[in-house]
Formats: sequence, C-alpha cells, structure tokens
Amino acid sequence: MGEGIKPFEFRQCTGIIKSTGMKARNLLELRDMIAKISDDSLFHHTCQYFLKGHILEYTNDFAQWAGESLEERALAEHLSNVDSYEFGEIDDLRLELLRVINGYVSVFPEPREAISGNEFYFNEAVTFIFSAGVRARNLAEFLIALKYIDSSSIYYHFYEARVRLGDGTDDFSRWVEEALRKRELAERIRAIDLFIYSLEGIRERIIKVIEEELRDEMEFRGGE
Amino acid sequence: MINQYAGIAPKGDLLLLRKLSEKLAGRSFLHINSTRSGGGVAEILNRMIPFLKGIGIDARWEVIEGDSKFFDITKKIHNALQGNPEKITPEMWGYHFETNRRYAERLGLQADALFIHDPQPFPLVEFRKNGKWIWRCHIDLSNPQKDVCDYLTKYCRKYDSAIFSVARFARALGTDEFIIPPSIDPLSEKNRELTDQEVSGVLARFNLPADRPAILQVSRFDRFKDPVGLINAFRMVRKYNDSILIIAGSPATDDPEGEMVLNEVKEFAAGDPDIYILLLPPFSDRDINALQRAATVVLQKSLKEGFGLTVSEAMWKGKPVIGGAVGGIPLQIIHGVTGFLVHSIEGAAFRIRQVLNNPELARGMGERGREYVRTNFLITKQIRDYLAVWYSLENKGRGILEL
Repeated sequence: MGEGIKPFEFRQCTGIIKSTGMKARNLLELRDMIAKISDDSLFHHTCQYFLKGHILEYTNDFAQWAGESLEERALAEHLSNVDSYEFGEIDDLRLELLRVINGYVSVFPEPREAISGNEFYFNEAVTFIFSAGVRARNLAEFLIALKYIDSSSIYYHFYEARVRLGDGTDDFSRWVEEALRKRELAERIRAIDLFIYSLEGIRERIIKVIEEELRDEMEFRGGE
Repeated sequence: MINQYAGIAPKGDLLLLRKLSEKLAGRSFLHINSTRSGGGVAEILNRMIPFLKGIGIDARWEVIEGDSKFFDITKKIHNALQGNPEKITPEMWGYHFETNRRYAERLGLQADALFIHDPQPFPLVEFRKNGKWIWRCHIDLSNPQKDVCDYLTKYCRKYDSAIFSVARFARALGTDEFIIPPSIDPLSEKNRELTDQEVSGVLARFNLPADRPAILQVSRFDRFKDPVGLINAFRMVRKYNDSILIIAGSPATDDPEGEMVLNEVKEFAAGDPDIYILLLPPFSDRDINALQRAATVVLQKSLKEGFGLTVSEAMWKGKPVIGGAVGGIPLQIIHGVTGFLVHSIEGAAFRIRQVLNNPELARGMGERGREYVRTNFLITKQIRDYLAVWYSLENKGRGILEL
C-alpha cells in the first residue's frame, strides 16, 4: 500500500460570526424569520451548528433555542430530528423547518415569549478554509493523523463535505472507498450518526472502526 | 511569538493565526482607545500589540488623553449606552467631537486597518483617510438609551464594520457587524502560573487570613458591578459559613465615578472585620493573579457587563465562578457546568453556600471552566479573529475564504 494511492490532504475550517441584526422573541417570529433569512444564516444555524464543538442537547440552533429559551421541548425534539444535510438545496431545508414549526403551532398556537436577552439572534459566518499541513498516504498514517488533527478538520471532512460533495457522503469514507478500495470500512464510517456525537465523539468512533480494520488486517496477515 | 502558546492554545487557532499573519505581514494596524491602564481594553491592548508586532504586523496603539470634562461626558455616554438614563446636551456632544478633532490631527490616522475602541474616540471616523475602519464595542449595548444610540448609528455608518462581544449587543447600525468575545492572555503576569509561596506572600502583604475560605470579586469600583449587593450576599452566607470577602479593584483614568463608589462601598462595609476592600494601583497584575488563585470561589455579581474578563481569568485558574446573568457573562458561564449564573443577591448567596459546602462540585466546575476558556477565550483566538475580520473586509462579499 502507498504507491499510486492519492494521499488524503487534511484541511480545516473555522468561522467568524457575523450578526444579521435580526432576532426573534417567540416561535411565530422565529418561523417568520426562518422564511426570509439568508441562505448563509440558515446554513450557519443548522449545518454549521457542529463546528461550535459545544456539547448541547439538540442538533441545531433553532431546536436548542426552542428547548432552552422557550421551553418547548417537544418542538425541540421535532426540530432535532430534521437531518440538515439531506437536502440538496438550502430552500428545501428551510421548507422542512417551516413545516415542522407550523405543525407544532397548529397544535400549540399560544406563542411563548423568551425573556429579555434570550431572544434568538440570527447570525451567519465568514468561513475560512485552509490546509492543516497533514497528509496521509495509507490507512495507518490516516489513523495517526485523525488522532491529533484539529477538531475543525473533523467538521470540514465529515460534516461540511456532505453539503460540498452533494451526495450525502463525507471525505473520509469517500477516500477510504476510492483510494484505498475498502468499501466495507467506508460504509462503517458513513454509518456513524453525525447528529448524536460531539466532534470529539465522532473522532473517537472513526478511530475505533479504523483500528478494528487494521487489527483484522494484521491478524489476517499473521495467519498467512 | 506564536510558538510560546503551543501546547496551551488550541492548535487550530495557532495555525490560522500563522496563515493570516502571512497574508497581512508588514501591513499597518492602528488601535485607538482612551486609557493606557485600568479596565479590560487597555489590558488586552497591552498584550496584543507586542503579539501583533511579533508576528510581523506593524501594530501601533494610540490613546485619546482627554481632560476630566471629556471623561465626564464619555462616562455619561457609556452609561446611557448601557441603559442608564442620562442627559447628553448638544454642548456635550460638541465637546466630545472637538476633543476627537484635536486628536485626529495629532494621532496620524494613516493605517491599513484601524480599530477604534468604545465610544470615547468614536468620532475619529469623521477624519478617516485610508484603510479599513472598525469600531470595537466593548460595552453592553442590548438596551441603550435611544437618542444616544441614534447618535452612535450616525457615526457607525461611516465605519466599514463594527465588532461586538456578544450577539445580543449587536444592533442594526448600518454596517457589517461581527461577534468576537474578548480574551485573556495565559502567559501574562495576570494569568501565568504562580508558586504557592508567591500566592501566600501576596496574602501576607495585604494582611489577608489564609485559614478561611475566601470569596473574591475583582472589578472596578462601579455601581454596575454591584459591590453593595455583593456585601449583602456575603452577609447572608456568613450565617452558615465562616469565610471572608475580598473586593479588589484598580482605578481607571477614564472613570471619574470610581472614587465615589469606592467610598460608598467602604462606608457600607465599615466595621466588618471579615470584609477586605483593596484599592490596587494600576498594573497590580501579579497581586490579582494571586488573589484569584487564593480564592475559594470568585464572584462577578454585575448588573450590567460588557463581557467581564475577570470571569474568564478566574475560570482559567480552575475556580468556580458565580456571575450575574447579564451581558457577556452567560457566554462564559454555562450554568451548572462551568459555574453558576444568578439573578439576585439571594441567588448569589445561595450559590456561594453551595460551592463552599461542596468541594467536589467546585473542583469539577473549575476544571470544565478552564477547558472552556482554553478553547474559546484565549488571546490567540481573539487576535486570529481580528485579523480574520480585517482580511474578510479586504475580500468583502465572499462568505468562504480559502487561505
């Protein structure tokens, strides 16, 4: 292994937060704002949610706010179940969020106000992408790199890639499948639930499946 | 310079800092505020300017040294922007502008990027020449007095961008607005590791007992820091826990109310041998460091707060911190995780008792708090973000920038 394999180039990304100046005080205002805010803002509060690295209870900023500030925990659960990476167009994600909120409002129409200072503030990000200066030419090098690269690399390759590649896959499993021709391993990486873990949790899980793969390879070779 | 922070700051921050410094090397970066000592802004600039120079950026720091009339006016502007009712007359606005006009001639406003800190030097933008102009707001602007805020908006439109510490402070001021929290420098005299001897030496010098739990608040003598409320909370705690209260603060040259508030606090605490009020001279960084390390629990019981760097400082030292749920404090304290947020004097007293009586809880909060500061509030991240704003303004309109 090594000769002729396209190396994996680790990149990382980070953002600086920009305010849109818009805020919502209750659920109806949140809904109306979601209908009209920029694609960048919607992306920031959903897909980029995981870049924060915070270990929060829900899976996007809207769900977090509904649960924490409005104490609408059922709605927070519904919103957390929206897979923000499965939509080809950001407007489709927007429609799904609106569908969920409208469904909830039809059952519980009384808007609850957030206390002053706890309103939802719509932001967006300017994103910086740059090389991490780390390259892996085989699975063992890839494993070592995974153990020490910055967590924003995990975000860039495992989360953001789903939007960038447009086919619901990620950079890690794609490289494992295309460059290393390890389809089963690729599928195991792809199957990790990206909404359940923090970036560090994702790192641990990918490391675990690769270590299992390498151990199996070594044992297989040892038995030859 | 960057290498000094390896192993302390997150690797990703240092890498981006390197990339941005390569892009901006040799360019000029001017910061202007209104005091060289006292308060968080001067403290950050004292550390940031040498850092910027160390990474190849031609950084400069200038100060508007106005007279007492100027600072009386700007204190009123400051208070009004933080929600206190104040009357700013046209004559006062005129004096404010005129002081800025005089300094505009003196300071030399030529730079590739200019950061204007807080409202005191705000009108300098009227005299802008070249470069990107960025207003750095360090105060709590969530509920400002309208007429004063309108005045602010008039100037703000002339800036290329504004930066706020917390999203809720940002307002539609007619320019691009970024959110960047302030930071602490882990290598500064204020935050570096101290030996036990250094800590006990400072306690001895101030005649502070080392045999009882110490509750500490470090802040300017300012009513927004609620020193009187803090003393009331301490008096509630003492019914249950034998402890001492230390209130320590330095004067700031741009805060004319400090002395008056200090006298009020002294009067309120008079005759209580367990309350220690320390007026520290400027640059008492090592003493503050030692006091924070000696404390059992640290308070920041503010009623209004831009950010409250003392919260991050204490968290960095592994202390449980109890803060008012205002301004930028909730950004640092995750309630029940890295400390406690409180809404009242009674709340402060209750949480102090909880922490004093549960060392395990205090230790866990302290550990999580330190890690939270490491990833979010170190100077390396703030400089990284400042350079990122500057670079993004030079590449305006692009939401994704590849370096």
